[in-house]
Parts: sequence; C-alpha cells; structure tokens
Amino acid sequence: MSDSLREILDIGVFWEFRNILLRGLLVNFLVFFGAAAVALGVGLGAALLRVSRFRVLRAVGTVHVEIFRNAPDYVMIVWVHFVLPLLIGTLLHTRFELNPFASGVLALGLVYSGYFAETFRTGIEAVPSGHLEAGRSLGMGETLLMWRIVLPQVVRRMLPESINIFISLFKATTIVSLIAVPDLMYNVSMITQQEMRPLPLYTGAALVYFAIVLVAGSALRAVAERWRAKIT
Amino acid sequence: MNNWDRLVWNQREALLAGLQVTIEVCLISFAAAIVGGMVLCLLRMYVKPVRPIAIVLIEFFRATPILVQLLWVNYVWPELFGWPNTFFAAACTALAVQSSGYLAETFRAGIEAIPKGQREAAYSVGMSPALTFRRIVLPQVLLSSAPSIINQFTVIVKSSTLVSVITVQDLMFQSQKIVNIAYEPIEILTATAAMYIGFIFIVSMAGKLLADRLRRSYGIGSRLPT
Repeated sequence: MSDSLREILDIGVFWEFRNILLRGLLVNFLVFFGAAAVALGVGLGAALLRVSRFRVLRAVGTVHVEIFRNAPDYVMIVWVHFVLPLLIGTLLHTRFELNPFASGVLALGLVYSGYFAETFRTGIEAVPSGHLEAGRSLGMGETLLMWRIVLPQVVRRMLPESINIFISLFKATTIVSLIAVPDLMYNVSMITQQEMRPLPLYTGAALVYFAIVLVAGSALRAVAERWRAKIT
Repeated sequence: MNNWDRLVWNQREALLAGLQVTIEVCLISFAAAIVGGMVLCLLRMYVKPVRPIAIVLIEFFRATPILVQLLWVNYVWPELFGWPNTFFAAACTALAVQSSGYLAETFRAGIEAIPKGQREAAYSVGMSPALTFRRIVLPQVLLSSAPSIINQFTVIVKSSTLVSVITVQDLMFQSQKIVNIAYEPIEILTATAAMYIGFIFIVSMAGKLLADRLRRSYGIGSRLPT
C-alpha cells in the first residue's frame, strides 16, 4: 500500500514526458474547439429547423436532435470514423477517407449539436412575442427578424447556460484517443505500455483533467453570472 | 438486404450476449450510484468532520472524464486497494463512481428544496432526525429527483459503451469483434448505433413523461439537466 502510494506521488514520470503530454493536451483543446464550432453551427441550424413554419423542416430538426442527443459519444465516433467515409465513398464513387482527428471533431460536433439545438430552441422560444410583433410592425422580414432581434438575445441568454454542455464536450474529447488521435489520454496509454508504470501516469492524467475542468468551469460560471446580471 | 442478414441477423447471439452484459453493467452501476450518491450527499450535508473530503470526492468524480476514470479505476485501484479484481467489477465501479458524484448533487438540491417548516413540524411532534429523514425528507427527494435519476441512467448507458476498452464483452465489444472478423463495418456498426440510440431514446422519453406527470400531479418542478 505505502509503496503504491509513493509511486503515485512520484511525478518524475510526468515531468520526464512533459513535452509529449503537453502536446497531447493541446490536441484535446484543438478537438474541443473544432467540435464546439461544429456543434454550435449545426445546433443553431437544427434549432432554426425546429422552429420553422414548415412541418417537414420541423420534423427533420426533431429527428436530428433525437438521434444525436441520444447517441453515445463513443458509438458516434466509431460510426463516423469507420462507416461514414464508406457511405460517402459509395455515393461519390471514389475512395474517401477521414483522418482520425477530423472524425473525432465531426462526431463530437454532431453529438453535441443535438444538445445545443435544444438550448438554442428554448432560447428562441423565450424571446417575448412583443419583440417579434414590434419588428414586424416596422416592416422587418422573418429572416431579418431572426438575425437582428431573436438571435442576439438567444446567444446572450443561452451561452452562459451552455457551460455544462461545453464541459461535457471537453471531457468527451478524451474518447478520441480510442481512434488513435494522439491526445493526452492516448499518449498516457502509450507511455504506460512503454514504461509499465500505470499508477503515476493514469493518476496524473485524472488530476490534470480534474484541475482543468474545475478551474475552467468555475471561471466560466463566474463570467456567466456577471453577464447574466448585465442583461436581465 | 443480404448483408444485413449475414452480418447482423446471423450474429444475433453474439450481439444479444453483448446486450446482456451491457444491461448488467448498467443496472449494477446504476444501483450502486444511487446508494453511493445518497451516502456522499448525506456525508457532505450532515457529517461535519468529513465534509471537505466528501466535497472533493464529489467534485473529482464529476469533473474527470469517464474514460480517464475507467482506466484509472482499472489500472490504479487494484494496486492501491487490491480491488476491483475483474474487468467487469472495474467497469461497474467506474460508472458507479462517476454517477454517484452527479446524483449526490441532485439529492442535495432535492433536500435543500424541502421547506424547513416541514422538518420543524416533524421534530415538534417528537420525530427523531433519522425518522424525519426517512419519513418526510427522503420520499419527497426521491420523487422530485426521479426525472434526474432516470436521466442519469441514460448517461450510464452512454458511458457503458466505453467498458469495451477494458475488454468487458458488452454490445460495443461484440460488434467491434464482428467488424474485425468480417471487415465490413457499415451494417453492423449502424445496427449497433441504432440499438443504443433507440434504447436511450426510450429511457429518456420515459423520464420526460414522468417529469411531466410529476409536475401535473404534485406541482414538482423538474430540474432536468440539459
């Protein structure tokens, strides 16, 4: 017991491989930002479909949300990485490949677009109808109304409340290591295999993620609190 | 359609065996997470000396990614505590540990939402704190947090796809095994994804219906996390 404890506290291994581990962490952040961009864009699109006037478009939006919100991250990553390129290749009659990084970003982006779509939709529906009527009475078209009146309010209101989704997304970026994207977790597993010392490495990795999520989470929440105080 | 027959229907025994393991892992860790979450919550709220420890544990369980936790429990715990000694136990422990952190916070919110007057009324008719908790607080907390608890079950099912990484032979493991043998991923992976999505969809629909019903019958506001 005390031997294992001493080994856990031995951060020498972590220091020895600091370069490769930091590069891995950078990959986590790159996947995070890429997937967040995809998720926000696709999520907004799906939300607009869900509040559309046309029933068909609404149905498409609903199906999108229900599929991706209920899909496990890992299953979606594996599907996008191994199945989607084949389907696209068959459609285009060419060989099509996605590198692991692109697959990871796309899959996580799609999964989290389902969550963002719901957040955006609640935000759109929360805009008082008086604002819409005022806009219409000034002669604004539906599109202009959406961009000028509705969306600015939605973004201000919903981004602070999306913090939990962003945090889940960041935690999910570790899963891309399973399709060989060289993120922190992938590098930790590789070093473990080479050094045969899982204790300090896995414990260290857990603590690194813990620290990042805790610090970033509380910082974002503090900022959001201020932001919300300003708009309401 | 021929491919679907050959790759999915003919492999149904392996897939069903995997599904059974998935369900076992999910149910065991769900039950453990509810108990663990309640214990963590009570330690945090009512046992002053261990309060900081409980807070750190809850935050640690909530803030670490499930894959990291799974590998950490699987590789580090056996050397530290001599347990868990099987991959199956490690998988259940990791999933339970993560969800117990979330459920502890759900329960805390539920307990704090109960008006103080109810507890005072219970004490004034001579009920002990333990009895008050069991008779007055706990039933209301379980009812008001039922939608969140069900939602947590969908999280467990989603996370359970990762236990294949430590060679627990769940649905994901079986389907990837078939892919590795047949080299034809389209049908089998699509079918697997559809099974997971369908299952989680049904569970979350049940949660939503229950939340609506609670709101209508008891006026309990649901706090379903997004």
